[in-house]
Amino acid sequence: MKKSPSIDPHSSLLRVRQSPPCFKNLTVVLRPQLPRQRSSRSQLKVAEISNLKIKMVSKTEESQLQQLENQVENRGGGAWEYLSLVRKLKLRRSDKVLKHGLTILNDPKKRSALGPDEWTLYEQVAIAALDCQCLEVAKDCIKVLQKKFPDSKRVGRLEAMLLEAKGSWAEAEKAYSSLLEDNPLDQVISMRRVAMAKAQGDILGAIEWLNKYLEIFMADHDAWRELAEIYVSLQMYKQAAFCYEELILAQPMIPLYHLAYADVIYTIGGLENLQTAKKYYASTIELTGGKNTRALFGICLCTSAIAQLTKGRNNEDKEISGLAAAALEKDYKQSSSSKLSLLSSTLRSLKIQ
Amino acid sequence: MAEDLVLDTAIRDWVLIPLSVVMVLIGVLRYFVSKLMRTSQLPDAKIIKEGQVIIRARNLRAAANFIPAKAFRARRLYYTNEDNGLLHVPKGQAQNPQAQMFSDPNMAMDMMKKNLSMIIPQTLTFAWVNFFFSGFVAAKIPFPLTQRFRSMLQNGIDLSTVDVSYVSSRSWYFLNLFGLRGLFSLILGEENATDDTQRMMQMSGFGFDPSKSLGAEKDGLDIVQHDWVLPKFEERAEAVLRKRLS
Repeated sequence: MKKSPSIDPHSSLLRVRQSPPCFKNLTVVLRPQLPRQRSSRSQLKVAEISNLKIKMVSKTEESQLQQLENQVENRGGGAWEYLSLVRKLKLRRSDKVLKHGLTILNDPKKRSALGPDEWTLYEQVAIAALDCQCLEVAKDCIKVLQKKFPDSKRVGRLEAMLLEAKGSWAEAEKAYSSLLEDNPLDQVISMRRVAMAKAQGDILGAIEWLNKYLEIFMADHDAWRELAEIYVSLQMYKQAAFCYEELILAQPMIPLYHLAYADVIYTIGGLENLQTAKKYYASTIELTGGKNTRALFGICLCTSAIAQLTKGRNNEDKEISGLAAAALEKDYKQSSSSKLSLLSSTLRSLKIQ
Repeated sequence: MAEDLVLDTAIRDWVLIPLSVVMVLIGVLRYFVSKLMRTSQLPDAKIIKEGQVIIRARNLRAAANFIPAKAFRARRLYYTNEDNGLLHVPKGQAQNPQAQMFSDPNMAMDMMKKNLSMIIPQTLTFAWVNFFFSGFVAAKIPFPLTQRFRSMLQNGIDLSTVDVSYVSSRSWYFLNLFGLRGLFSLILGEENATDDTQRMMQMSGFGFDPSKSLGAEKDGLDIVQHDWVLPKFEERAEAVLRKRLS
């Protein structure tokens, strides 16, 4: 499959995965990293879409968005409000933005009613179009913007993104570098460079760019998360652990970071690390109210691994693993009873029951 | 004092209303002029980095108990060590903002532009009001006020016998100067308001010294006691699971 570059619409996001815009679960939020969703969108390579998309979207905003989305989908109007909200919350709903944005832009009356916001909309639609690989639409939007703001850096950025979306890496790289020369502290461009390196398969290059970016913008936790995921994919667990520690420091109450950190240090192994991992699995359970299957399994695995290492000599209480196993059984009974035997044999082999 | 002063309607038509209209127009004009003169200032990498370091160090201080002791100690050393810690500001290198201002002519230029766009129109209008309208009693507010308001409402009239509810033209000018902010935010958009008070705040906040807050953050980090909360979480997780199972 041809790798197609994805363009991320928003500055604070450092999403470089090839996630198609039709992916539904973008808003939300803290759910266990259980099933990986795959999409049927053929032209995009959907390699990995983790559900680990954490966005600080409040409940009210989410319901407001949902309501507006339904309204817009059923031709109830309110398209501009929807687009504004998407922009404000920095969501990635490229297909919807493209569709509804274009209906506004193609209607001269509606378009001129926006006043100066018209240009914002052009930019938004252009980025969404790039994300959907509708390069012609994007090109038209950028051309309009170019005409209106001939010397704008922001439009220059869009043009570079168009090059990137076409896959002409060298030219895009050149464009980005010249833009960076003018303003070396442009966060969006720095992020695009990381994304570009990653899209080209140059993972080490991506790490290098990310590190350079984080040297200055070291409080950007999205970047830390990206770096952590890259390190995990390269099996550089110590570095990944550091990144996850950084994430836990930034947002200590998000269970997903605890879970990912526990995964990483469990993988590193060693008695001390295993005990730490177990504690972090436990904190994930605490923070999710015991509903995270992965954390429950993690507890069982840690207990079993610790018991193996110490050959039963340790006097650590095994109570929590027993509880976790019971909770797992309960969950399996409820939602997939056919796999219950599989679970109990697994637990037996871990010597938890 | 008991007998009312009768204000000529010509005063309303030729003093009160023109004064207000002129103040509004000047406010709008000033907004556009300052927009023209504003240079987009490129932020300095060092300042941004210092801000980010402070945020990160603050996070570390706030959430120290959520990471293992080893990780915390490594980070603290990274931030606070005396050789090249991120928060460590070598003595003497701490630039005071005044010196920085003189070393960077752009900064001084910017300040001057800001000041000019604020001071020149104000002086001019004040001179204009003083020249043409000094001594007028321009308006009367419909409720009585105590003597303390005299200096606010009757600036420019040195008559202690006039009732305080009469407003002199110069005071009307000042009232307009400070009271039109709401109107400007309506006309020019929320954040575009030519907000004098905010500008003053900015000016006074100019003396902000990042190296000082770096030092404060370093001291804060030095005294943090690391007490890992995760063992407690384990107990709480057990309780949570028990509750779920029961």
